[in-house]
Amino acid sequence: MDPFSLHRRTFVQQAGLSLGAMAFGSLAARAAAESPKPGLPSLPHHAAKAKRVIFLTQSGGPSQIELFDHKPGLAELAGTELPESVRRGQRLTTMTSNQRQLIKPGATRFERCGKSGATIGEWLPHLRKIADDLCFIKSMHTDQINHAPAMTQFLTGNQIPGRPSIGSWASYGLGSENKDLPDYLVLLSRMQRPSDQPLYDHYWGSGFLPSRHQGVKLRSAKDPVLYLRDPEGLPRGLRREMLDGLAELNRGTLERTGDPEVATRIRQYEMAFRMQASVPELTDLSDEPDEVFELYGPDSRRPGSYAANCILARRLIERGVRFIQLFHPDWDHHSRLTSWCTARCRDTDQPSAALVTDLKRRGLLDDTLVVWGGEFGRGVAGQGKWDSPEAGRDHHPRCFTMWMAGGGVKAGHTHGSTDEFSYNVATDPVHVRDLHATVLHLLGVDHERFTYRHQGLDFRLTGVEPAKIVKGILG
Amino acid sequence: MSRLTPSAPLLFAALAWAVEPVSFSRDVLPILSENCLSCHGPDESHRKADLRLDTFEGATAENDGVRAVVPGDPARSDLIARIVSQDPDEVMPPPKSHKPRLKPEEVDILRRWIAEGAKWGKHWAFEPPVKRQVEGHPVDAFIRARLAKEGLKPSPQAPAHVLVRRVHLDLTGLPPTPEEASAFLNDKAPGAYERMVDRALASPHYGERLAMWWLDAARYADTDGFQSDSTRNNWPWRDWVVDAFNRNLPYDRFTLEQFAGDLLPGATPEQKLATAFHRNHMTNGEGGRDPEESRVDYVIDRVNTVGSTWLGLTLACCQCHSHKFDPVSQSEYYSLTAFFNSIDEDGKAGGGARPFMPYQSPFAARALDEAKALIEAAKPAEAAARKTAEAPFADWLRQATERVAGGHASWRPIKAETLETAEGTVLTQEPDFAVQASGPHPNQDEYRFITTPRGRRVAGLRLEVLPHPSHTDGALSRGKDGEFLLTDLKVQVRTRGNSLIRDIALDSAVADVGADKKKNGNYGDVKDTLDDDPRNGWTTIGADKKAPHTAVYRLAEPLTLGADEEMIIELRQRSTLGDRNIGRFRLSVTDEAGPAVASVGVTPLERLAKVTGAADPKLREDLFSQFLADHRPYREARAALDRAQRDFDDIKARAGKVNVMVLAERKQPRDTFVLVRGVWDKHGDKVGRDAPAAVLPWPQDLPKDRAGLARWITAKENPLAARVAVNHLWQLLFSNGIVRSVEDFGLQGERPSHPELLDWLAVDFRENGWDIKRLLRLIVTSETYRQDSSVTPALLAKDPDNRFLARGSRYRLPSWMLRDAALRASGLLHPVLGGPPVRPHQPDGVWEELFMGRFKYESSEGPAQYRRTLYAFWRRSIAPTFLFDTAQRRTCEVRLPRTNTPLQALTLMNDATFLEASQALAAGALKRSGDATRIQFLYRSVLTREANDREAALIGSTLMKARETYRADPAAAVKFLDVGQRRIPAGVDPAELAAWTLVASLVLNLDETITHE
Repeated sequence: MDPFSLHRRTFVQQAGLSLGAMAFGSLAARAAAESPKPGLPSLPHHAAKAKRVIFLTQSGGPSQIELFDHKPGLAELAGTELPESVRRGQRLTTMTSNQRQLIKPGATRFERCGKSGATIGEWLPHLRKIADDLCFIKSMHTDQINHAPAMTQFLTGNQIPGRPSIGSWASYGLGSENKDLPDYLVLLSRMQRPSDQPLYDHYWGSGFLPSRHQGVKLRSAKDPVLYLRDPEGLPRGLRREMLDGLAELNRGTLERTGDPEVATRIRQYEMAFRMQASVPELTDLSDEPDEVFELYGPDSRRPGSYAANCILARRLIERGVRFIQLFHPDWDHHSRLTSWCTARCRDTDQPSAALVTDLKRRGLLDDTLVVWGGEFGRGVAGQGKWDSPEAGRDHHPRCFTMWMAGGGVKAGHTHGSTDEFSYNVATDPVHVRDLHATVLHLLGVDHERFTYRHQGLDFRLTGVEPAKIVKGILG
Repeated sequence: MSRLTPSAPLLFAALAWAVEPVSFSRDVLPILSENCLSCHGPDESHRKADLRLDTFEGATAENDGVRAVVPGDPARSDLIARIVSQDPDEVMPPPKSHKPRLKPEEVDILRRWIAEGAKWGKHWAFEPPVKRQVEGHPVDAFIRARLAKEGLKPSPQAPAHVLVRRVHLDLTGLPPTPEEASAFLNDKAPGAYERMVDRALASPHYGERLAMWWLDAARYADTDGFQSDSTRNNWPWRDWVVDAFNRNLPYDRFTLEQFAGDLLPGATPEQKLATAFHRNHMTNGEGGRDPEESRVDYVIDRVNTVGSTWLGLTLACCQCHSHKFDPVSQSEYYSLTAFFNSIDEDGKAGGGARPFMPYQSPFAARALDEAKALIEAAKPAEAAARKTAEAPFADWLRQATERVAGGHASWRPIKAETLETAEGTVLTQEPDFAVQASGPHPNQDEYRFITTPRGRRVAGLRLEVLPHPSHTDGALSRGKDGEFLLTDLKVQVRTRGNSLIRDIALDSAVADVGADKKKNGNYGDVKDTLDDDPRNGWTTIGADKKAPHTAVYRLAEPLTLGADEEMIIELRQRSTLGDRNIGRFRLSVTDEAGPAVASVGVTPLERLAKVTGAADPKLREDLFSQFLADHRPYREARAALDRAQRDFDDIKARAGKVNVMVLAERKQPRDTFVLVRGVWDKHGDKVGRDAPAAVLPWPQDLPKDRAGLARWITAKENPLAARVAVNHLWQLLFSNGIVRSVEDFGLQGERPSHPELLDWLAVDFRENGWDIKRLLRLIVTSETYRQDSSVTPALLAKDPDNRFLARGSRYRLPSWMLRDAALRASGLLHPVLGGPPVRPHQPDGVWEELFMGRFKYESSEGPAQYRRTLYAFWRRSIAPTFLFDTAQRRTCEVRLPRTNTPLQALTLMNDATFLEASQALAAGALKRSGDATRIQFLYRSVLTREANDREAALIGSTLMKARETYRADPAAAVKFLDVGQRRIPAGVDPAELAAWTLVASLVLNLDETITHE
């Protein structure tokens, strides 16, 4: 839209001091009507199977051995040393590199669930009930063995902070249908103890992409978005007056300088005003019926919990937000696996399953991709004395399990497998960058052609190493 | 946002080719670089078809009977044949590279270049800069020559008030004070402008402004980053930078001291301090991380930072492979790392991040004095509040004494409305309020006790764990050993009819006894039941298990339930082994605050009930504590004292010698290797210290150490350093460099918009002793700099990005400058230099939610709140929230984005600092009389000019609305004014102050206010 014509037109119409909210409303509506489809004109490259993504990020490295990757044979090998033929020089963290690698069998009972017969451990009773909606990848692998580099690679394609996260790429390429909310929103679980792994804001950073593509954190505080709330004692009507005066004065500046940025600024202050209404309405769950809270579990009544964030994610999907990312920390059970891992399962099992169910019954799952997973898996060897209740597991990059559901992936399917130790990928390996290529593919984007020029180089989410689309999971 | 326009070099090329012979570096190399060199460039490992197009020899060599380039003969040059081919198997670049076909004009350039003899040259940035003779002001001469070529005319000079604001913002980062402005506006003698510039350059704030640029490049922060993100004490280096700029330390010397201050003969502590530049990288203390991997990361970060900051080269590419475009091999890259590979460090973070230099900052004493003064002010206030409380306390005590005379029980046992369990235990409440477990005996369980303790408020909660004959050994549980283990206790409130619950914070837990954590798998301490972590909790193993045990919880804030509210108390028993669910318990509540809920046992009022006559002094003191805990005026005074004390303690810890991370060589140098694919422990060939030959071969006479490297960078023959530095400084003044890709002067970077100007300034800078102030003065005294920044539609259409500079630069000021300007304009700014970091206002809970409570942000008290943003504490994992489009300070950043978003609008409208500044401005306005005068006061303070009639009318109109609102609702005015450290001055009408505050906030949000015009 040409800022000059806009501004001249408005000026001619409103040659006085009385330009108010009405004119802005129509201005905003016109801006929306005139704006072309969101995102880059060259995208999508092909028809998208998924229009939106919910990424349920489990930070710390959930144990595939307890949760999904059933290895009954390990019971017989309990306490024996992991053969070097299996380990093959795998690097360990300094937490276990000085101890013997003695096999600790999975601590859970498994069941084959649904018609698909997916193996799910007993700590995830709710997920078991929706096994036929899920698509498991048991052959995930990554290059990194420590949290921050691994999570950074998991979300940005590179272990060094500074690249755009996958959500930022989605925002940059595809934009969002909703003009009153950011394209990419981030929800952190509010925990009641200091977490062992902080969640750095570069995990949802836009790197070298323009910063409007960075994830905006919705907080479970009085201000869901920082600085959203007007100070107490400033009524909404008076804020409107102030913004009207501001806009009118800024139009004078636009007239004087001819700088189109002034026109943009006027629009952004209006958007801010609209967000002040739309965001609290979005984040206030009290209009949800009780049966929704019953579906998502008791924790969903506590604002800021993972469960409440799952409901919020569904509300964001309903509003057309492109990319929603939840973060749940403390999956890092080096010790006391049984109490620590089960605590995380209790936090997340019912709400994750409920989210899939809820999207499905509302007809939203078909074009929404739900992704569940963490930055790496955990090793088969016990950390600490393998048979002690104190024992846990160290980080393990060579294999881990993720699941997806919805937009464009096979339901009731398991892709890939690991060896009998859940140590190495046995069939159909899926590298983190393959996952990225696949998610982009489902969004209608060819990861090889989706590049951004920075410092003279064409960067892409999947980096320079070859990445492949995981065809086996496409529905 | 500074736009990256990949086709920009081509634009210039296209403009140039019609009139001049083809220039290799200007016209040809960009095309080759963009389209060919990623496969046919310097990187051997990825070179295709053994063809190399970055050297004359490679391009003209015969390869399978064909030559890519046959000088003078485009028809026989395979390069041309391939780029125009219609055969998908033949055409270059190949379709699978996803690069578009070359444009006809590009093909034409290549064809003409070959026809003209395929003259080879170097990329422009590797050629030495040349200072061409010019007439008049060199900046204007070059800019105008180009304007003339484009058929453009320069804009007239900006109005005086714009100029004085522009110069002060650019050179000091602050708008002019009214005195500074009038000194210029009233100076009618020739040279007034130059005198104003000189005053700005002489201001101590000049050093602060330049330091902000340098700190971004230096990735300076006050914490380590990564998992632990520990606080470090490198801030004395930040003050060194400010000082170095203020004393105009020549740039070559500035470079040398930061690279090798420690290696200089007779190095002073300040010279050693300078080397902290190369220790400002992040450090990773993550458990399980190999420190050597981290150390290698740090070395690499240093080299990449040198590349971006001093050389304008994207060296980071070479970590994994030889540069695809620029003539820097992977081995040369690692030769550069060798200079930094023998620091006496071992990759650790936090307190282990040696080498350190203990250093006492000369700037800390002032900060300490200020903090001390705050305590001195808060102490009498606290004492007075305590004294004032004594009278109401006496009343209270008298009433309490009467009330408890017949005997008193502080704790009231509570009755459950509902009892629930998660895993099936059956709970039954008995007449004595004890709850007994029976029925199924799951390994772990959660008990939910739902109650509505009516009437009185709840200040604390007591849990009694009781023995019972039905338990194992008649002890505390039905588990194998009769012991109990409570992992967490939670209190929540639910409103009937509302689906949401809220957590009630508990801030202390005490028990009569706890087990030894070491002997019981980390279980024992009742405090651990507050943290929602099942790996710790409360058990009394080791104490008498046939006796009752008691825990007392204090609510962070006493709670009064509404008529439709219920309280949920949840006992979580989720220990690792389980089998220790509580067998019998009783819950009680009290409304007594203070000591009553901070200990187990008899409460002060219960003691009072037992004494006859006057209470003894100890009891009286306890009762007074209980009274004060509920006495709001005292609590506020006490909180102010606590905050002052906290600031004082923090500063005191930094006022003595602090450990600054500096450079020091280890005795035994480390060997340096090429790292295969950049992996830290995959050693390739061993390399020695050296610099990239394509930039400048290492001069014989330089020592191969860090000092030598600094001298290599600033050597006369180095084609890059002076150009890069000049470009940085140009960017500070015009918001874009002459080379827009400030960090990349290589083949893939943008070409200079005015190459001869860049060269002239670079040579002049070097020839004149790398004098930064002189260079800045030269640029800002040009007519180009002084142009008006408004634009006509025609000029906007022709030059939307203002590359030709036919107008002044107009752009939104950096967010840090907006904060500083608001503080300055409102008179709040505390303009002192240096010292430990301060904590400006930031919304509550931001650090807490990222770190799940591990770090808490508490904003600074007193004048420290109003320091310049340069001194704001910078946590690496989350930059100060009031900044936007800012460097992240994780790795070197020399060019920042500039966006225009609603979130910025929200920040400027609602951040507490901007609201405080608005209120201070309003208070200033109210000291004048008459609305018209007051409006002019706001405009002069903020914009250095008067409002015109239209503006004054518009402001007046908003003022009227605000006035009506606040006169009708004075309570709203008081609320609106309650921000930060603002107090409503005596004799001021809150409604009037609030109305003017809103108007001042409007002025601070004006586009003109936040914009460099």
